[in-house]
Amino acid sequence: MNNVVTPGSRPTFAKIGAWLLVLSAIFMALLGWSASAYYVPATCLLLQAALLWRGRGFGLFKWIVLINQVSGIVLILVLWLGDGLGTTKLDVAGVALLLNLLCGGPLMALLGGAMLPALRKGKRLFQWFNPQFA
Amino acid sequence: MKTRDLSGALLSALSALALAADARAASFVGTVSLPDGRPAFGAMVSVFNAAKNQKQTVYTAADGSYAIVTPYAGRLDVRARLANYDDNLLTVEATQEQSSRLDLRLKDFADAQGASDALSASAHNARLQWKSAADRHDFVSQCNYCHQIGNSTTRAPRSHDAWLAVINKMEGYLAMVTRAQGNRFASALEKGLDGQPAKATHDYVATEELSRAKVEEWHLGDGFSFIHDMDVAADGKFYGTDEGHDKLWVLDPRTARVEAIDLPESHLPRGGLFSGMHLAIGIFTGSHGPHSMAQTSDGRIWITNALSSTLMSFDPANKQFKTYAVPGDALYPHTVRVDKHDVVWFTIVASNQIGRFDPKTEQMTVMRLPSNGFFRWLTDMLFPTLLRISSWFPDHALLLDFSHHRFLGYTVAAFPYGIDINPKDGSVWYAKLYANKIGRIDPKTMEVREYDTPMSGPRRPRFDRDGIFWIPAFDEGGLMRFDPASGRFETYKIPGVAPGEYETPYALNVYGPTGDVWMAANNSDRVIRFSPATKTFRNFPSPTRVSVFRDFSFTKDGRVCTSQSNLPAYAIEGAVPSYLCIDPTGGARDRAALGAATQAPASTGAAATGPT
Repeated sequence: MNNVVTPGSRPTFAKIGAWLLVLSAIFMALLGWSASAYYVPATCLLLQAALLWRGRGFGLFKWIVLINQVSGIVLILVLWLGDGLGTTKLDVAGVALLLNLLCGGPLMALLGGAMLPALRKGKRLFQWFNPQFA
Repeated sequence: MKTRDLSGALLSALSALALAADARAASFVGTVSLPDGRPAFGAMVSVFNAAKNQKQTVYTAADGSYAIVTPYAGRLDVRARLANYDDNLLTVEATQEQSSRLDLRLKDFADAQGASDALSASAHNARLQWKSAADRHDFVSQCNYCHQIGNSTTRAPRSHDAWLAVINKMEGYLAMVTRAQGNRFASALEKGLDGQPAKATHDYVATEELSRAKVEEWHLGDGFSFIHDMDVAADGKFYGTDEGHDKLWVLDPRTARVEAIDLPESHLPRGGLFSGMHLAIGIFTGSHGPHSMAQTSDGRIWITNALSSTLMSFDPANKQFKTYAVPGDALYPHTVRVDKHDVVWFTIVASNQIGRFDPKTEQMTVMRLPSNGFFRWLTDMLFPTLLRISSWFPDHALLLDFSHHRFLGYTVAAFPYGIDINPKDGSVWYAKLYANKIGRIDPKTMEVREYDTPMSGPRRPRFDRDGIFWIPAFDEGGLMRFDPASGRFETYKIPGVAPGEYETPYALNVYGPTGDVWMAANNSDRVIRFSPATKTFRNFPSPTRVSVFRDFSFTKDGRVCTSQSNLPAYAIEGAVPSYLCIDPTGGARDRAALGAATQAPASTGAAATGPT
């Protein structure tokens, strides 16, 4: 039982990550005051911050990060190289953009990119979410 | 293709009768005086035809005299109008083959409200109080974009919330304001347009030159028509693009016959690629959005279809259209010009691109222009995608909830707008409305070089014969002269018609033989002529209130023509759009033709049935 991570022993990486997610959520919410679609990534970022802070819902947290990353990459690739897709190019880009925003948007992409390595099995965030494997 | 003759047999018969009977049918001479009896200088005397779908106007000389020859006959309205005075409108029964003497006296306004109602929009929007120059600048840029603010339909008193709703509606047409700006604009509009009469003394600076001019107007379409550009074609006919209804309005000025020609249908929904925006129901019924025109030497007219992102040719000989898709993510093909090799060049405003089309090979090339900064690059990258997402939910303008212009303003876009060909070297030049730049494209290498403009809002520029680039500065009420050889700008501020009022020069064109620059002054109902030799501005007041003019073109005999294109058209005085031509010497010709009659003291052939 010595390996169980308790809230009192919340790793610094998780604390910093959670606070960065909260700050990102606040920033997105401020944008949402002008353009309401940004409330969606703001909400997602807040959810991610809560999950990370509490160390709960690893699967959800990880899938949100992954979908955010993949949709962001698809969006960039399609806009950059997708002229061959014809009129469907913008449909694909549109779905990718919506998915990306639903999963936290560009700030989630930046933070998620930094967190992904730590979510791998045996790494710090994996252990924080999954103390039973620590 | 469906063709509809809107003029009908009545108009044709009237025109034919008038022309055949006597070129001098309904000719008038006389004077216009002020209420105190002094001569009225620069007053407009307009004669409306019996059907009231055409009118001709001359301006009085310093002694108040005028002479006008019209092709009209029958029961005609004759109106005297001068800024700061009330109209005098008479109805006369004009017989043919005789000129009539008609002396008209202007009236004082019955009350302050009447005086206010007669003022151009510039007097009303001058009452808006701005907390910062930046807000005023951005208001001019975004809220005067396609119509006047301060005319009878846009100056009605509204609450702050009602103005916010109006601004939100305008955003559905792509007005780009931040939420904070929207609030500040709504406050200024609520306080400034409070229903109290505006007070201003307008001075259009009458000149003898003005009294030598004559204006002709032809109404066409209806209150929901959105006739954007009008162009004089090689056949002498006037062609106008109805951006809302996907029509070409063709007028033969010799017969006054009007023909409306429908564009072929597209597979796109109402609003075309912009169906996701909140386009006005009734005004925007089509999906192509024909916008601008240019003619190649084979007679074909090339039309940029803004809403369907297509280039379309129209052959006046057989009235056949042919459509060419603009490839890629192109959004809103805008102004089109043709170079000396008959290659068609056009700006693509919303996706920051330039199109090149060779009609001989039917090859089209689309080139992305420099983005001019990170946020504009972001717009270039994402705007087409956001518009596509919006199109999944028609008429909801979902784009507004995503776009970063909502917190950064309209400067997140570059907006390549006007375009022209340098006659000296064939290079292609464009103006970026929101990035405040002009650019040169080498037509062989497609190399681009851009220059910052000293005034903001470069809109629809033109070259003169000497290769000087003349650029209207919409946001600052100015005119810019750019010499590509030296790379130097000169700037000129357009005088307002009263202190504290601004001007919104939308487009211009340069008349080759004289080098005069003719330009739209859409805030104060006038066309302005700038003479480069003397560096002077001359006003030609519009006989029609609420004048928003678009592109200018010239007839072979030197008339300066444009379209009356306020959006919506029902806000224009008379409630319909029109084609308008200024003949700088037409008034002088009428005076000469009626020279003998102007000496005659007695009136003949007309019976005044209105007050004098």
